Amino acid sequence: MNRPVEPSPMPPHQAEATNSRNNRRLMSTIWKHRKEYLAISPFYILFAIFGLFPIGFSMFLSFQKWDGISEMSFNGLKNYQFMLTDPEFWRAVSNTLLIWIYSTIPMLFFALIIAFLLHASFMRFRTFFRIGYFLPNVTSLVAVAIVFGTVFSNNYGLLNYVLSLVGLESVEWLNKTWGIQLAISVMIIWRWVGYNAIIYLAGLQSIPSVLYEAAKIDGASGLQAFFRITIPCLRPIILFTVITSTIGGMQIFTEPQVLVGNDGGVSGGGLTIVLYLYREAFVNNYFGYGAAVGWGMFILIALFSILNWRMVQGNSSNH
Amino acid sequence: MIGLWLCAVILVLAGCTGSSSNEKTKTLTLWYWNRSLDDGLLKAVEQQFPGIRIDAQKIGGDFKSKLKTTLAAGSGGPDIVAFNDWVTELFASSDRFYDLYELGAAEIEDDFLDWKWQLGVTPEGTMIALPIDTGPTALYYRADLFEQAGLPSDPEEVHRMLSTWEDYFEAGVQLQQHFGGSVKLTDNISNIYNQINAQSETIYFDRDEEFIGESSASSMRSAWDLAVKASELGLLANANTSSSEWNAAINNGRIASFVGAVWMKEILQQAAPDTTGNWKVARAPGGDGNNGGSFLAIMKSSEYPQEAFEVIKWIQSPDNQIQTFNNINLFPSAKAALEAESMHVEEPFFGGQATGEIFTESARNVKPAYFGAKYANINGIVTRELSMVALQGKNSEKAWEDALNRVKKELLR
Repeated sequence: MNRPVEPSPMPPHQAEATNSRNNRRLMSTIWKHRKEYLAISPFYILFAIFGLFPIGFSMFLSFQKWDGISEMSFNGLKNYQFMLTDPEFWRAVSNTLLIWIYSTIPMLFFALIIAFLLHASFMRFRTFFRIGYFLPNVTSLVAVAIVFGTVFSNNYGLLNYVLSLVGLESVEWLNKTWGIQLAISVMIIWRWVGYNAIIYLAGLQSIPSVLYEAAKIDGASGLQAFFRITIPCLRPIILFTVITSTIGGMQIFTEPQVLVGNDGGVSGGGLTIVLYLYREAFVNNYFGYGAAVGWGMFILIALFSILNWRMVQGNSSNH
Repeated sequence: MIGLWLCAVILVLAGCTGSSSNEKTKTLTLWYWNRSLDDGLLKAVEQQFPGIRIDAQKIGGDFKSKLKTTLAAGSGGPDIVAFNDWVTELFASSDRFYDLYELGAAEIEDDFLDWKWQLGVTPEGTMIALPIDTGPTALYYRADLFEQAGLPSDPEEVHRMLSTWEDYFEAGVQLQQHFGGSVKLTDNISNIYNQINAQSETIYFDRDEEFIGESSASSMRSAWDLAVKASELGLLANANTSSSEWNAAINNGRIASFVGAVWMKEILQQAAPDTTGNWKVARAPGGDGNNGGSFLAIMKSSEYPQEAFEVIKWIQSPDNQIQTFNNINLFPSAKAALEAESMHVEEPFFGGQATGEIFTESARNVKPAYFGAKYANINGIVTRELSMVALQGKNSEKAWEDALNRVKKELLR
């Protein structure tokens, strides 16, 4: 309480006294529950060291010029200026968005169908299928990328072998911009479809069966029940999966890095924002710039999350 | 008998500890990565230098990042540290390392290949890094395919007939005509570009760190033009070096030759077991060059710089370089080590050729080059544009302009 006291209804000395009394009371309640505070403190301590500090430092760093070794020097807004005028950055943004669209829409669609089938009463060996669909999610990402690399390989890949069996021309998948993006998207779909299906399944199981029974009595068809009951009830779950896959999709890194390398392959078709950040910071040694790109990405993700939220919420208010 | 030996050993050991307890044991920490130094040799350091304990730590993962983090932190670094060919990136921080000339490096300068030695010397003339190994380049080729296509197949003859890149491309056209497209002369456009630059004295920067890529002295444009020409002639299999694609193409005979460093030998042998006996090595078209090779430096934070220098001097002595070559195949940087008998060992994979003879000759003829702190960044930009020319049919003049513009933008950062 060192700062000058602002005008208040109470005389200054009295306000100060109340303030310090409140403070003392607060401190004493905290002291009384010190064990509970101690119990929850590890998270906050770790978060401060590994979360809060790096966030703050990256903010500071984004205004500096730093090659990682020599002295930092203040760079003003130059990092941000370079980012906004760098065609490769915008390339990375559009690549990321394209890969996100190619992967998220089919992924959530398949996940919903799989969840619906897993939930269906005629399904046998349910646990087996649930585990089966979830398994890709716990597989090492690097191993996945290597396997898909051989599937999509330009000359000797599995996919080209299949094409040749059918008598089609082989395609140099990883030499084409769209081919690289397709390969990355397929990898994401394969890895995450089971995860989202499990989440949808949990959502499906939480819909009370009375709703379906009532619909049946009213003479609704299965399709009507799906669109009028299942989808509306699942809306919050769908919102959750859309937002998590947006955040995940904006941060795609390992798949393109292992598949096509630090440059994102020929003409940078697989150069995502994080891969670009990584290359600029850790390969080209522009650490200040890397931090600036990180903040650019933060703004993008925030914008998209708000957009998603609006879209899904907006639809529900139409009803 | 064994008892006697044991007694002797115990006595010796007791003697050692007795004497060293008078003097303090000096511990030298060393950071290196797997197979950058011979582990057996590191163990021998303590016998060679009584009173010195060496704490050799193999740093896994991204070695360079870890070193830079340590340098940025300003403390906690090792005494001795290994560098790879990114040594020039550290010239800007040369004050963080001992000038090895001050510790007596000038005495052994004549023992080493001059071009390799110069790579560890900053433009200001301080020496921050002592050479470990080198990567002289040569032409690896399938002698059987060359012969079938009516080309020379003997290494001497190949060197004589294919002495320039143009000759090499012409031979490639002949080779591909013979096989009707099932065989390509070489692997990819970036490798041609990089290998031509590796044979040059001036690439992107002069010793004042000025960009000279557009001057006629630089090999940048000529390397670009030759690489583009190879692509236009259809001589490339378009398989990236060290990809599974490359391994497959090498093993099934789609790639008939490539220019590569001596350390590609092991990669080739692992990738192409089905072609054992068919490969040969000749001096490369266009001249001798170097790819990669590492160094040892002593950090300013070290308490015992002189001792550290004596240790690295010993590790990199010609005899020990020969031992390292025999044990883990690191190609020597010491002139005397190039004379070793193991350079004349015949290798069955190469049809009984002693490829060491080719590589030693190459190593002796590499020209000293200055790479500049931003070499990797610039080279990345140029090779990215080149791949677009080779793989996506981008107009080569447009690609050249895009590359130059991007390079100039990069230089202003």
